[in-house]
Amino acid sequence: MEREEEARTRTERKVKRAAQLLFFWRHRIPGVKGWELKKAVGDDYLEVLGVLDSVLDRFGMEVKRISEEGEERGEEEEKTERDRFMIVLKDPVIEKASGERIDDVAMLAATLAYIISKQGKAPRKAVEDFLSEKFPKQRVFFALDRYIRQGYVGEDETVLYIGWRTRAEVDRKSLVDLILSS
Amino acid sequence: MKFDELFRLIHFCETIEKEGTDPFDLDVKKFLETLKRYHKKWKSLDDLLLDAEALAELAKVIELQGKWIKDRSSSFYIDPALLELKLKMLEPHQLATAFVRSWNPVISVDRITLQRLKEGLNYWNALLPLNKRKEEFPLPSALDTTFDLGDLIELNILSKEEFADALQAVLKELEERGRIDYHDFIYGDAFEASIIKAYLTSYLVSEGKAELDINPLEDEVFISPSSTNVTAKALHPLSKSIAISLSYEDWLQWREKRKHGQEPNER
Repeated sequence: MEREEEARTRTERKVKRAAQLLFFWRHRIPGVKGWELKKAVGDDYLEVLGVLDSVLDRFGMEVKRISEEGEERGEEEEKTERDRFMIVLKDPVIEKASGERIDDVAMLAATLAYIISKQGKAPRKAVEDFLSEKFPKQRVFFALDRYIRQGYVGEDETVLYIGWRTRAEVDRKSLVDLILSS
Repeated sequence: MKFDELFRLIHFCETIEKEGTDPFDLDVKKFLETLKRYHKKWKSLDDLLLDAEALAELAKVIELQGKWIKDRSSSFYIDPALLELKLKMLEPHQLATAFVRSWNPVISVDRITLQRLKEGLNYWNALLPLNKRKEEFPLPSALDTTFDLGDLIELNILSKEEFADALQAVLKELEERGRIDYHDFIYGDAFEASIIKAYLTSYLVSEGKAELDINPLEDEVFISPSSTNVTAKALHPLSKSIAISLSYEDWLQWREKRKHGQEPNER
Protein backbone atom coordinates (compact mmCIF):
# COMPACT_ATOMS: atom_id res chain seq x y z
CA MET A 1 0.00 0.00 0.00
CA GLU A 2 2.79 2.38 0.99
CA ARG A 3 4.80 1.46 -2.10
CA GLU A 4 1.79 2.18 -4.26
CA GLU A 5 1.44 5.58 -2.60
CA GLU A 6 5.14 6.25 -3.17
CA ALA A 7 4.87 5.35 -6.86
CA ARG A 8 1.87 7.63 -7.26
CA THR A 9 3.69 10.54 -5.63
CA ARG A 10 6.70 9.95 -7.87
CA THR A 11 4.54 9.89 -11.00
CA GLU A 12 2.73 13.05 -9.93
CA ARG A 13 6.06 14.77 -9.41
CA LYS A 14 7.21 13.71 -12.86
CA VAL A 15 3.96 14.83 -14.51
CA LYS A 16 4.26 18.19 -12.76
CA ARG A 17 7.86 18.58 -13.92
CA ALA A 18 6.95 17.62 -17.50
CA ALA A 19 4.03 20.12 -17.50
CA GLN A 20 6.32 22.92 -16.29
CA LEU A 21 8.84 22.12 -19.01
CA LEU A 22 6.19 22.02 -21.71
CA PHE A 23 4.23 25.08 -20.63
CA PHE A 24 7.09 27.47 -19.96
CA TRP A 25 8.83 29.07 -22.91
CA ARG A 26 12.49 28.10 -22.50
CA HIS A 27 13.88 28.51 -26.01
CA ARG A 28 13.19 30.49 -29.16
CA ILE A 29 10.56 27.88 -30.00
CA PRO A 30 8.04 26.68 -27.38
CA GLY A 31 8.08 23.14 -26.04
CA VAL A 32 11.03 20.87 -25.34
CA LYS A 33 12.98 18.18 -27.12
CA GLY A 34 12.61 14.52 -26.19
CA TRP A 35 16.15 14.33 -24.82
CA GLU A 36 15.48 17.28 -22.50
CA LEU A 37 12.40 15.56 -21.14
CA LYS A 38 14.34 12.33 -20.73
CA LYS A 39 17.00 14.17 -18.78
CA ALA A 40 14.52 15.98 -16.52
CA VAL A 41 11.85 13.31 -16.07
CA GLY A 42 13.58 9.99 -16.72
CA ASP A 43 13.65 7.16 -19.25
CA ASP A 44 9.89 6.67 -18.91
CA TYR A 45 9.16 10.21 -20.13
CA LEU A 46 6.83 8.97 -22.89
CA GLU A 47 4.64 7.24 -20.29
CA VAL A 48 4.71 10.39 -18.15
CA LEU A 49 3.61 12.41 -21.16
CA GLY A 50 0.77 9.93 -21.65
CA VAL A 51 -0.46 10.65 -18.10
CA LEU A 52 -0.07 14.40 -18.64
CA ASP A 53 -1.99 14.09 -21.90
CA SER A 54 -4.97 12.49 -20.13
CA VAL A 55 -4.91 15.26 -17.49
CA LEU A 56 -4.77 17.98 -20.17
CA ASP A 57 -7.59 16.31 -22.09
CA ARG A 58 -10.02 17.46 -19.38
CA PHE A 59 -9.07 21.06 -20.21
CA GLY A 60 -9.26 20.63 -23.99
CA MET A 61 -5.50 20.47 -24.48
CA GLU A 62 -3.08 17.80 -25.64
CA VAL A 63 0.62 17.05 -25.91
CA LYS A 64 1.69 17.33 -29.52
CA ARG A 65 4.83 15.75 -30.88
CA ILE A 66 6.48 17.07 -34.02
CA SER A 67 9.75 16.22 -35.69
CA GLU A 68 12.13 18.86 -36.98
CA GLU A 69 12.08 17.21 -40.38
CA GLY A 70 8.36 17.59 -40.78
CA GLU A 71 6.89 14.15 -40.18
CA GLU A 72 4.39 14.01 -37.39
CA ARG A 73 5.79 10.93 -35.72
CA GLY A 74 8.83 8.69 -35.61
CA GLU A 75 9.02 5.53 -33.63
CA GLU A 76 12.73 4.88 -33.12
CA GLU A 77 13.99 5.92 -29.71
CA GLU A 78 16.80 8.06 -31.12
CA LYS A 79 14.37 9.93 -33.32
CA THR A 80 11.89 10.41 -30.50
CA GLU A 81 14.58 12.15 -28.49
CA ARG A 82 15.12 14.61 -31.34
CA ASP A 83 11.39 15.30 -31.66
CA ARG A 84 9.85 18.37 -30.04
CA PHE A 85 6.93 18.12 -27.65
CA MET A 86 4.55 20.97 -27.01
CA ILE A 87 1.05 21.60 -25.70
CA VAL A 88 -1.69 22.67 -28.08
CA LEU A 89 -5.42 23.33 -27.82
CA LYS A 90 -7.17 20.11 -28.74
CA ASP A 91 -10.30 21.41 -30.39
CA PRO A 92 -10.10 24.00 -33.11
CA VAL A 93 -10.68 27.47 -31.75
CA ILE A 94 -13.85 29.04 -33.09
CA GLU A 95 -13.79 32.22 -31.06
CA LYS A 96 -11.31 34.93 -31.79
CA ALA A 97 -8.09 33.65 -30.24
CA SER A 98 -5.48 35.98 -31.61
CA GLY A 99 -4.98 39.68 -32.15
CA GLU A 100 -4.15 39.20 -35.82
CA ARG A 101 -6.09 41.25 -38.38
CA ILE A 102 -8.49 39.25 -40.54
CA ASP A 103 -6.50 40.24 -43.64
CA ASP A 104 -3.37 38.74 -42.14
CA VAL A 105 -5.11 35.52 -41.13
CA ALA A 106 -6.58 35.28 -44.64
CA MET A 107 -3.16 35.79 -46.22
CA LEU A 108 -1.68 33.17 -43.88
CA ALA A 109 -4.43 30.68 -44.79
CA ALA A 110 -3.90 31.33 -48.51
CA THR A 111 -0.10 31.05 -48.15
CA LEU A 112 -0.30 27.75 -46.30
CA ALA A 113 -2.90 26.27 -48.65
CA TYR A 114 -0.86 27.36 -51.67
CA ILE A 115 2.35 25.80 -50.28
CA ILE A 116 0.51 22.61 -49.25
CA SER A 117 -0.90 22.27 -52.78
CA LYS A 118 2.64 22.53 -54.16
CA GLN A 119 3.70 19.56 -52.02
CA GLY A 120 5.07 21.56 -49.14
CA LYS A 121 7.33 24.06 -50.86
CA ALA A 122 7.00 26.86 -53.37
CA PRO A 123 9.24 29.66 -54.69
CA ARG A 124 8.75 32.83 -52.62
CA LYS A 125 8.22 34.83 -55.81
CA ALA A 126 5.29 32.57 -56.81
CA VAL A 127 3.68 32.99 -53.37
CA GLU A 128 4.19 36.77 -53.52
CA ASP A 129 2.63 36.96 -56.98
CA PHE A 130 -0.29 34.83 -55.85
CA LEU A 131 -1.02 36.95 -52.75
CA SER A 132 -0.53 40.18 -54.71
CA GLU A 133 -3.68 39.46 -56.66
CA LYS A 134 -5.64 40.50 -53.58
CA PHE A 135 -3.27 42.57 -51.46
CA PRO A 136 -0.69 45.30 -52.17
CA LYS A 137 2.83 43.96 -52.74
CA GLN A 138 4.31 45.87 -49.84
CA ARG A 139 1.83 44.30 -47.39
CA VAL A 140 2.50 40.88 -48.86
CA PHE A 141 6.27 41.27 -48.30
CA PHE A 142 5.76 42.30 -44.67
CA ALA A 143 3.19 39.57 -44.03
CA LEU A 144 5.43 36.83 -45.42
CA ASP A 145 8.38 38.07 -43.38
CA ARG A 146 6.19 38.00 -40.27
CA TYR A 147 4.94 34.45 -40.94
CA ILE A 148 8.58 33.38 -41.32
CA ARG A 149 9.49 35.08 -38.01
CA GLN A 150 6.50 33.50 -36.27
CA GLY A 151 7.48 30.05 -37.56
CA TYR A 152 4.39 29.40 -39.69
CA VAL A 153 6.49 29.45 -42.85
CA GLY A 154 10.13 28.48 -43.34
CA GLU A 155 12.45 30.05 -45.90
CA ASP A 156 15.39 28.44 -47.62
CA GLU A 157 17.01 30.97 -49.94
CA THR A 158 14.20 31.67 -52.41
CA VAL A 159 11.92 28.80 -51.45
CA LEU A 160 9.16 28.85 -48.83
CA TYR A 161 8.07 25.73 -46.98
CA ILE A 162 5.72 24.74 -44.15
CA GLY A 163 7.22 25.91 -40.85
CA TRP A 164 7.39 24.18 -37.46
CA ARG A 165 4.48 26.20 -36.08
CA THR A 166 2.12 25.19 -38.85
CA ARG A 167 3.13 21.56 -38.30
CA ALA A 168 2.32 21.97 -34.62
CA GLU A 169 -0.79 24.12 -34.79
CA VAL A 170 -2.58 23.60 -38.07
CA ASP A 171 -4.50 20.55 -39.21
CA ARG A 172 -3.43 20.92 -42.81
CA LYS A 173 -5.91 18.43 -44.22
CA SER A 174 -8.80 20.17 -42.46
CA LEU A 175 -7.61 23.55 -43.72
CA VAL A 176 -7.56 22.39 -47.32
CA ASP A 177 -10.89 20.55 -46.97
CA LEU A 178 -12.50 23.62 -45.43
CA ILE A 179 -11.20 25.84 -48.22
CA LEU A 180 -12.39 23.46 -50.91
CA SER A 181 -15.82 23.13 -49.33
CA SER A 182 -16.30 26.86 -48.67
CA MET B 1 30.87 21.18 -75.30
CA LYS B 2 30.09 17.86 -73.65
CA PHE B 3 30.21 19.53 -70.22
CA ASP B 4 27.60 22.10 -71.16
CA GLU B 5 24.94 19.49 -71.72
CA LEU B 6 25.70 17.72 -68.44
CA PHE B 7 25.89 20.94 -66.45
CA ARG B 8 22.52 21.88 -67.89
CA LEU B 9 21.02 18.55 -66.83
CA ILE B 10 22.53 18.78 -63.34
CA HIS B 11 21.22 22.32 -62.99
CA PHE B 12 17.77 21.20 -64.13
CA CYS B 13 17.75 18.45 -61.47
CA GLU B 14 18.80 20.96 -58.81
CA THR B 15 15.98 23.31 -59.81
CA ILE B 16 13.45 20.50 -59.46
CA GLU B 17 14.79 19.62 -56.00
CA LYS B 18 14.95 23.20 -54.84
CA GLU B 19 11.78 24.68 -56.23
CA GLY B 20 9.58 21.64 -56.00
CA THR B 21 8.57 21.69 -59.65
CA ASP B 22 7.16 18.56 -61.28
CA PRO B 23 9.96 15.91 -61.16
CA PHE B 24 8.45 14.23 -64.20
CA ASP B 25 9.57 17.21 -66.27
CA LEU B 26 12.88 15.36 -66.43
CA ASP B 27 13.06 12.63 -69.04
CA VAL B 28 15.00 9.96 -67.13
CA LYS B 29 15.47 7.70 -70.15
CA LYS B 30 16.93 10.52 -72.21
CA PHE B 31 19.14 11.55 -69.28
CA LEU B 32 20.58 8.03 -69.03
CA GLU B 33 21.08 7.85 -72.78
CA THR B 34 23.04 11.12 -72.63
CA LEU B 35 25.24 9.75 -69.86
CA LYS B 36 25.74 6.54 -71.83
CA ARG B 37 26.70 8.48 -74.93
CA TYR B 38 29.46 10.29 -73.08
CA HIS B 39 30.54 7.34 -70.98
CA LYS B 40 33.31 6.15 -73.31
CA LYS B 41 34.64 9.65 -73.84
CA TRP B 42 35.49 10.25 -70.21
CA LYS B 43 39.25 10.51 -69.67
CA SER B 44 40.15 12.47 -66.58
CA LEU B 45 39.12 12.18 -62.96
CA ASP B 46 37.11 15.40 -63.29
CA ASP B 47 35.12 13.81 -66.13
CA LEU B 48 34.27 10.86 -63.92
CA LEU B 49 33.36 13.10 -61.00
CA LEU B 50 30.98 15.05 -63.21
CA ASP B 51 29.47 11.80 -64.42
CA ALA B 52 28.99 10.69 -60.80
CA GLU B 53 27.44 14.01 -59.85
CA ALA B 54 24.98 13.78 -62.73
CA LEU B 55 24.01 10.26 -61.67
CA ALA B 56 23.58 11.36 -58.05
CA GLU B 57 21.31 14.24 -59.09
CA LEU B 58 19.31 11.90 -61.31
CA ALA B 59 18.85 9.50 -58.37
CA LYS B 60 17.49 12.37 -56.25
CA VAL B 61 14.96 13.28 -58.93
CA ILE B 62 13.87 9.66 -59.28
CA GLU B 63 13.35 9.61 -55.50
CA LEU B 64 11.21 12.75 -55.86
CA GLN B 65 9.23 11.08 -58.63
CA GLY B 66 8.51 8.19 -56.25
CA LYS B 67 7.42 10.63 -53.55
CA TRP B 68 5.29 12.50 -56.07
CA ILE B 69 3.42 9.31 -57.07
CA LYS B 70 2.98 8.34 -53.40
CA ASP B 71 1.66 11.77 -52.60
CA ARG B 72 -0.75 11.86 -55.52
CA SER B 73 -2.15 8.46 -54.64
CA SER B 74 -2.76 9.46 -51.02
CA SER B 75 -6.02 11.00 -49.83
CA PHE B 76 -4.07 14.11 -48.95
CA TYR B 77 -3.48 15.00 -52.59
CA ILE B 78 -5.23 18.09 -53.85
CA ASP B 79 -5.12 19.35 -57.39
CA PRO B 80 -3.03 22.57 -57.08
CA ALA B 81 -4.94 24.26 -59.90
CA LEU B 82 -8.29 23.57 -58.25
CA LEU B 83 -7.08 24.83 -54.87
CA GLU B 84 -5.52 27.91 -56.46
CA LEU B 85 -8.81 28.72 -58.18
CA LYS B 86 -10.72 28.23 -54.94
CA LEU B 87 -8.29 30.47 -53.04
CA LYS B 88 -8.76 33.21 -55.61
CA MET B 89 -12.54 32.99 -55.32
CA LEU B 90 -12.77 33.11 -51.52
CA GLU B 91 -13.21 36.29 -49.52
CA PRO B 92 -10.62 37.08 -46.82
CA HIS B 93 -13.09 36.33 -44.00
CA GLN B 94 -13.87 32.89 -45.49
CA LEU B 95 -10.16 32.08 -45.65
CA ALA B 96 -9.66 33.34 -42.11
CA THR B 97 -12.56 31.20 -40.86
CA ALA B 98 -11.11 28.10 -42.53
CA PHE B 99 -7.78 28.79 -40.88
CA VAL B 100 -9.22 29.33 -37.40
CA ARG B 101 -11.29 26.15 -37.66
CA SER B 102 -8.22 24.06 -38.42
CA TRP B 103 -6.00 25.85 -35.94
CA ASN B 104 -4.89 24.39 -32.61
CA PRO B 105 -2.64 27.08 -31.15
CA VAL B 106 0.38 26.17 -29.06
CA ILE B 107 -0.05 27.01 -25.40
CA SER B 108 2.96 28.35 -23.61
CA VAL B 109 3.78 30.79 -20.88
CA ASP B 110 6.54 33.29 -21.36
CA ARG B 111 7.24 35.00 -18.06
CA ILE B 112 10.12 35.86 -15.83
CA THR B 113 10.80 33.82 -12.70
CA LEU B 114 12.40 34.92 -9.44
CA GLN B 115 15.35 32.64 -10.14
CA ARG B 116 15.93 34.22 -13.58
CA LEU B 117 15.66 37.72 -12.08
CA LYS B 118 18.30 36.77 -9.54
CA GLU B 119 20.57 35.52 -12.33
CA GLY B 120 20.03 38.81 -14.17
CA LEU B 121 20.93 40.81 -11.09
CA ASN B 122 24.13 38.78 -10.56
CA TYR B 123 25.06 39.34 -14.19
CA TRP B 124 24.44 43.09 -13.81
CA ASN B 125 26.61 43.23 -10.70
CA ALA B 126 29.46 41.40 -12.43
CA LEU B 127 29.29 43.62 -15.53
CA LEU B 128 32.11 46.16 -15.99
CA PRO B 129 31.14 49.80 -16.78
CA LEU B 130 30.54 50.55 -20.47
CA ASN B 131 33.72 52.62 -20.91
CA LYS B 132 35.75 49.53 -19.96
CA ARG B 133 33.98 47.32 -22.51
CA LYS B 134 34.27 49.50 -25.60
CA GLU B 135 35.62 46.71 -27.75
CA GLU B 136 32.32 44.83 -27.26
CA PHE B 137 30.49 47.63 -29.05
CA PRO B 138 32.40 48.59 -32.20
CA LEU B 139 31.05 51.55 -34.13
CA PRO B 140 28.56 50.45 -36.76
CA SER B 141 30.14 50.12 -40.16
CA ALA B 142 28.69 52.02 -43.08
CA LEU B 143 26.06 50.29 -45.16
CA ASP B 144 27.58 48.16 -47.86
CA THR B 145 24.73 48.64 -50.27
CA THR B 146 22.11 51.26 -51.05
CA PHE B 147 18.85 51.14 -52.96
CA ASP B 148 19.13 52.31 -56.50
CA LEU B 149 16.37 53.06 -58.98
CA GLY B 150 16.39 49.47 -60.25
CA ASP B 151 15.77 48.15 -56.70
CA LEU B 152 12.83 50.53 -56.19
CA ILE B 153 11.29 49.43 -59.48
CA GLU B 154 11.90 45.80 -58.52
CA LEU B 155 10.16 46.38 -55.17
CA ASN B 156 7.20 47.95 -56.94
CA ILE B 157 7.68 51.17 -54.98
CA LEU B 158 8.11 53.02 -58.23
CA SER B 159 7.44 52.28 -61.88
CA LYS B 160 9.67 53.43 -64.74
CA GLU B 161 6.87 55.59 -66.15
CA GLU B 162 6.17 57.28 -62.80
CA PHE B 163 9.85 58.01 -62.38
CA ALA B 164 10.19 59.45 -65.90
CA ASP B 165 7.10 61.63 -65.36
CA ALA B 166 8.38 62.95 -62.03
CA LEU B 167 11.76 63.68 -63.61
CA GLN B 168 10.10 65.54 -66.47
CA ALA B 169 8.03 67.64 -64.03
CA VAL B 170 11.16 68.72 -62.13
CA LEU B 171 12.93 69.56 -65.39
CA LYS B 172 9.96 71.62 -66.57
CA GLU B 173 9.95 73.57 -63.30
CA LEU B 174 13.68 74.22 -63.57
CA GLU B 175 13.28 75.45 -67.14
CA GLU B 176 10.53 77.81 -65.99
CA ARG B 177 12.51 79.18 -63.04
CA GLY B 178 15.84 79.39 -64.86
CA ARG B 179 19.14 79.80 -62.98
CA ILE B 180 18.35 79.64 -59.26
CA ASP B 181 19.96 78.92 -55.91
CA TYR B 182 20.04 75.14 -55.50
CA HIS B 183 18.40 75.13 -52.05
CA ASP B 184 15.69 77.56 -53.15
CA PHE B 185 14.90 75.22 -55.98
CA ILE B 186 14.92 72.04 -53.88
CA TYR B 187 13.20 73.21 -50.70
CA GLY B 188 9.43 73.51 -50.68
CA ASP B 189 6.52 73.44 -48.25
CA ALA B 190 7.21 69.88 -47.08
CA PHE B 191 10.60 68.46 -46.12
CA GLU B 192 9.78 64.98 -47.49
CA ALA B 193 8.86 66.45 -50.90
CA SER B 194 12.12 68.43 -50.85
CA ILE B 195 14.16 65.26 -50.38
CA ILE B 196 12.35 63.57 -53.26
CA LYS B 197 12.98 66.63 -55.43
CA ALA B 198 16.68 66.58 -54.53
CA TYR B 199 16.83 62.91 -55.48
CA LEU B 200 15.18 63.57 -58.85
CA THR B 201 17.37 66.63 -59.44
CA SER B 202 20.49 64.53 -58.95
CA TYR B 203 19.31 62.44 -61.91
CA LEU B 204 18.85 65.57 -64.05
CA VAL B 205 22.41 66.65 -63.24
CA SER B 206 23.81 63.16 -63.88
CA GLU B 207 22.03 63.03 -67.23
CA GLY B 208 23.31 66.47 -68.19
CA LYS B 209 19.85 68.04 -68.29
CA ALA B 210 20.76 70.44 -65.48
CA GLU B 211 24.01 72.14 -64.56
CA LEU B 212 25.43 72.99 -61.16
CA ASP B 213 27.46 76.11 -60.65
CA ILE B 214 29.39 75.88 -57.38
CA ASN B 215 31.14 78.81 -55.74
CA PRO B 216 33.04 77.26 -52.81
CA LEU B 217 34.32 80.62 -51.50
CA GLU B 218 30.84 82.10 -51.11
CA ASP B 219 29.32 78.73 -50.23
CA GLU B 220 26.82 79.11 -53.06
CA VAL B 221 25.38 76.48 -55.34
CA PHE B 222 23.28 77.46 -58.34
CA ILE B 223 21.37 75.18 -60.63
CA SER B 224 20.21 75.91 -64.15
CA PRO B 225 18.76 73.95 -67.04
CA SER B 226 21.40 72.67 -69.40
CA SER B 227 22.00 74.67 -72.53
CA THR B 228 23.02 71.61 -74.52
CA ASN B 229 21.30 68.30 -75.25
CA VAL B 230 24.52 66.30 -75.04
CA THR B 231 24.47 64.05 -72.02
CA ALA B 232 26.83 64.70 -69.15
CA LYS B 233 28.30 61.26 -69.53
CA ALA B 234 29.24 62.03 -73.12
CA LEU B 235 30.76 65.35 -72.16
CA HIS B 236 32.53 64.09 -69.08
CA PRO B 237 33.18 60.38 -69.34
CA LEU B 238 34.93 60.56 -65.95
CA SER B 239 32.02 61.56 -63.74
CA LYS B 240 32.50 62.92 -60.25
CA SER B 241 30.21 63.05 -57.26
CA ILE B 242 29.15 66.31 -55.65
CA ALA B 243 27.85 66.26 -52.11
CA ILE B 244 25.35 68.95 -51.18
CA SER B 245 23.99 68.73 -47.67
CA LEU B 246 20.29 68.91 -46.95
CA SER B 247 18.95 68.68 -43.44
CA TYR B 248 15.71 69.13 -41.61
CA GLU B 249 17.20 72.00 -39.54
CA ASP B 250 18.45 73.70 -42.68
CA TRP B 251 15.01 73.34 -44.27
CA LEU B 252 13.33 74.81 -41.13
CA GLN B 253 15.66 77.83 -41.32
CA TRP B 254 14.92 78.28 -45.01
CA ARG B 255 11.17 78.13 -44.34
CA GLU B 256 11.43 80.68 -41.48
CA LYS B 257 13.32 83.11 -43.70
CA ARG B 258 10.76 82.71 -46.45
CA LYS B 259 7.94 83.30 -43.97
CA HIS B 260 9.53 86.55 -42.82
CA GLY B 261 9.95 87.73 -46.35
CA GLN B 262 13.73 87.44 -46.31
CA GLU B 263 15.64 86.18 -49.28
CA PRO B 264 15.93 82.49 -48.35
CA ASN B 265 19.28 82.13 -50.06
CA GLU B 266 20.93 84.58 -47.66
CA ARG B 267 22.07 81.77 -45.45
